[in-house]
Amino acid sequence: MRRLLNTRSMAPLALVAAVGIFGLLAFASGAGSAGAAPTTTLPKLTTTSTTATPIGQPTRPSVGSVLKNNSPSNQTGLYYVQLPKSFIAPGQALFAANCSSCHGPEALGTVRAPNLQGLGAGTVDFWVSTGRMPLANSSVQATRKPPRFNRLQTLEIAAWVQSLTPGVGVQVPVVNTSQADLESGGTLFTLNCAACHTITGAGDALMDGAYAPSLHLATPTQIVEAIRSGPGNMPHFGAGNITNTEARDISAYVTGVIQHPANPGGVGLGGIGPVGEGFVGLLVGVGALMLVCFWIGDRT
Amino acid sequence: MSDESPRLEGPLPPAALDDPHLQPYARHPGAAQAVAAVAMVVGFLGFVGFGVAYWVSASNQWQAITLGVGLLALGFGVTAWGKYLMPQGPFVEERHEFHSTEAERAAMTAAITERGGMVVKRRGLLFGLFGLGATAMGIVLAFPLIRSLGPRPGTTLFQTNWKKGSQLVTIDGRQVTADDLEVGGVLTVFPRGYQGSSPNQVILIRLADQLQQLTPPGRTDWGVLGYVAYSKMCTHLGCPVGLYQEQTQQLVCPCHQSIFNVVAGAVPEFGPAPRPLPQLPITVDAHGFLRAKGDFNQPVGPGFWERP
Amino acid sequence: MIDESIDKSLRWVDDRLGVAKGGRTFLDKIFPDHWSFMLGEIALYSFVVLLATGVFLSLYYVPSAHEIIYNGSYIPLRGQRVSEAYASSVGLSFDVRSGLLMRQAHHWAADIFLGSIAVHMARVFFTGAFRKPREFNWIVGVTMLILGIVNGFLGYSLPDDLVSGTGIRIAYSIVESIPLVGSYIAFFLFGGNYPGNGLIIPRFFILHVLIIPLVIIGLLAAHLGLLVKQKHTQFAGKGKTEHNVVGSPMFPTFMAKTTGFLFMVTAVIFLLAGFAQINPIWQFGQYEPYQISYAVQPDWYMGWLDGALRIMPSWEWVGWGHTIPLEIFLPAVIFPGIIFNIFFAWPFLEARHTKDLAYHNLLDRPRDRPKRTAAGAAMLMLLGMTFFASSTDVMANFFELPLKSVLWFFRIAVVVTPIIAYVVTYKICLEMRAAEGIGKRKRAVIVTRSSTGEYSTTEAEPRPGDGQEELEAVPVPTFIDLVPPELATGEGVRRVMR
Repeated sequence: MRRLLNTRSMAPLALVAAVGIFGLLAFASGAGSAGAAPTTTLPKLTTTSTTATPIGQPTRPSVGSVLKNNSPSNQTGLYYVQLPKSFIAPGQALFAANCSSCHGPEALGTVRAPNLQGLGAGTVDFWVSTGRMPLANSSVQATRKPPRFNRLQTLEIAAWVQSLTPGVGVQVPVVNTSQADLESGGTLFTLNCAACHTITGAGDALMDGAYAPSLHLATPTQIVEAIRSGPGNMPHFGAGNITNTEARDISAYVTGVIQHPANPGGVGLGGIGPVGEGFVGLLVGVGALMLVCFWIGDRT
Repeated sequence: MSDESPRLEGPLPPAALDDPHLQPYARHPGAAQAVAAVAMVVGFLGFVGFGVAYWVSASNQWQAITLGVGLLALGFGVTAWGKYLMPQGPFVEERHEFHSTEAERAAMTAAITERGGMVVKRRGLLFGLFGLGATAMGIVLAFPLIRSLGPRPGTTLFQTNWKKGSQLVTIDGRQVTADDLEVGGVLTVFPRGYQGSSPNQVILIRLADQLQQLTPPGRTDWGVLGYVAYSKMCTHLGCPVGLYQEQTQQLVCPCHQSIFNVVAGAVPEFGPAPRPLPQLPITVDAHGFLRAKGDFNQPVGPGFWERP
Repeated sequence: MIDESIDKSLRWVDDRLGVAKGGRTFLDKIFPDHWSFMLGEIALYSFVVLLATGVFLSLYYVPSAHEIIYNGSYIPLRGQRVSEAYASSVGLSFDVRSGLLMRQAHHWAADIFLGSIAVHMARVFFTGAFRKPREFNWIVGVTMLILGIVNGFLGYSLPDDLVSGTGIRIAYSIVESIPLVGSYIAFFLFGGNYPGNGLIIPRFFILHVLIIPLVIIGLLAAHLGLLVKQKHTQFAGKGKTEHNVVGSPMFPTFMAKTTGFLFMVTAVIFLLAGFAQINPIWQFGQYEPYQISYAVQPDWYMGWLDGALRIMPSWEWVGWGHTIPLEIFLPAVIFPGIIFNIFFAWPFLEARHTKDLAYHNLLDRPRDRPKRTAAGAAMLMLLGMTFFASSTDVMANFFELPLKSVLWFFRIAVVVTPIIAYVVTYKICLEMRAAEGIGKRKRAVIVTRSSTGEYSTTEAEPRPGDGQEELEAVPVPTFIDLVPPELATGEGVRRVMR
């Protein structure tokens, strides 16, 4: 028996072993189903029913947004909250300790960092809750990393920045995706988001070192905040472009289908399409078969 | 290493069953047979498993593992049988020259040139007329094969459905108003009645007012309130240029990464695209709806021969 | 008893078809056993899997661009207006039992088919097996490569999804870029301005399932027929000459090994089909010409064209009222045209350059033909660089490099690395020829130490089969119990084999 386990017959055994390991991995990822989208929980807050208007726009609600948002806000599954005033003082302390060195004590910005006044609590919440802020090196695009602050602290900082320009900027949303329309979300995602983030939400490189990030860790709140505030190179999608209902549907699609793809076919290979498939097809497929040829045939 | 093949003259010795050329390759044929047998049993079970997996509509993974293991094991068994237990030789076979002899070749050439020549040279007129007819047939039979396939381009590539006064609408048919986009917003629009139509696709961008004033001379009034509109069809290969980098006001085509500077008139800065994206002149009407002021300033999409 | 019934059946068939003599010759055919001669079999058997899974798919796929409302079991698409082609492809994936397995097996088989053609072609090239008398076979093979690439493109475009539809848009523009006739051909093929009148999907379908496979099958028959007639080449070695073939017999040995190999190729394809997801069209959505995704590449065998399109500078010739979009025409039409013409012409170019008009049935070791090997390495490097250039954005994202730098790297690499590859390969070949014993099978050496501390070596016993290789090659034996004595001589064997 030992004679049979020489290098010549190791090849098919190695093939079987590789297939087995691959198979175990694939079993673990295959035949999953779209998970339920998590809803964010926040401390009890007062609610408002209108979106705050960003800088540069006329302060009265536009014709279009009134037409689109005439249904009571709590039926859209997405509403914006006004953070309680008790958050402002601790927020200022946190800001002074962690953010003012770059953004200035009044958040008006310095050469290192932009002016935060008027951006709104939702914008700040996005950057801080994804861990992008605080940022050590402002010469490269900020990446998502484990957030420095817990949820309460993040909202306190956001509340303080918001308090500098009350009523202006993107507010913090509360998103309930349970009634979302996945089909609508998918259509909207494909038209508005896939060109930068890819159709599978994997993210890809932009110009000059910038990149559109992967969407696989985003929460519904962060998705809506990003849609409304357009962080970095991302365009700003206001309510006249993507309504609250549509934003809710998109976040449901991202947290559901994008983050938990069904993948009945097996391992997802990175979601980057033919690049990954080509590697596997050539290296694993043709490679394994070449090993089999090596076993069957002669070497001379 | 001699260049002579083994002599095949004279009577061959009868084949001895213990001739080394006929012996199994394996040192321990019994063990090899056992391994092959086990493999084939596994193969059989695999196929049975596939039958079961199919019957109960098991997942893709179960169907594949049963079928795959069945095929792999049975294949391994048969291959091992062939490799380890069947006569490997080495055996030799002679190559015979398969080209014909000189005489045969000469006869063939003669048949064509002389027999054929007899008739063709004498009846040259017939041969020529046949050739003429066959050529004509070949040419005209290509007509239905090629021409019937589709229409001629005509002027189709030079115009779109955008006209003076066309309303900008989204893919859902919603009319776009001047308040719809924020600064830094982007939207795909079409002329009303032609939603989803490929040559008419336009990307509408809202720049900051002060940036929009910088748009190319002679076309500053092609935008309004910060809005500028360009054909979404890349001038390289026609992919929709849907990627807008808001901080740098660059449109990037996702297909081959051509970069268009929006403020300068969607002028290509990098990458393979040769020409700017054609601009659509737009304005706001009395009710706040965005409307086109005319068609694009040049044919949209990739280059082609007739493009001036 | 079995012998008698075989004898009876054979006589019955031979009375009508006269196959016994030719059949005996066929069963005695000798196949050289080198492992690299099996690479073409990978291609052949993956083609068989393509045909089988393709038949299955064609029984469910609807080749129509007509729009319906999706009502299958994939919930995120429910209610969406999609083409029948897309709906039936998603239906195959979710609502047909074993449909996804067959779809993925078909796609993986296509990738493996073309990958194995590439390695097979490389083997034939580097060993000089395309030389006289096998130039026809080389031409047939290159033609099958081109048809395989085209058919693969047509096949993955059939589901009408966002990713493959983008490829169709690019294909339209490439056709359009041809000077003088481009816009006419594009309008004829598609039935109008892009996206055409909806007939492109059915036209792709009939090309993909009928017209091109028929041609490939015919060429395959020619390819194998030429192989049977001209017999396979072999490496030089003990007992191997230009006038013989040494190896194992067709029956039973080669048939067993090749049948087992067929099963194993099919197994690898189906194991990939079950565990590695490929082309998840339900995630991409229906193709719309105003929608796009980022990180979109064609399948690997088209990657070299996409890479060439990306790195090409934006040169466009405009003059006298006309435009020639060189930034499309050069990389997408002229470049592959030159490459494939080089492929087709190579046997004749090499024969003229080396002034070699002799028959060649013995193969070269690549190191013995340094110029050819180096040229092949340079070509592989060129195609490899354009291939990798098609994933510039994915690479820039993965390695966290600026996109422009990655692109400029490939613009330079495409020109420089083939030259480097040529020079380096040439030198390696020369060095390998100078060094003895490289690549020769070595006998293991057993080192023993005596009790007084001295080392001694003995050669190990030959491994299984090593003894076999040192045997003299003999003709396939005639089992003379059954055979009349006059056929048991060399002359008799030759008579039978003619």
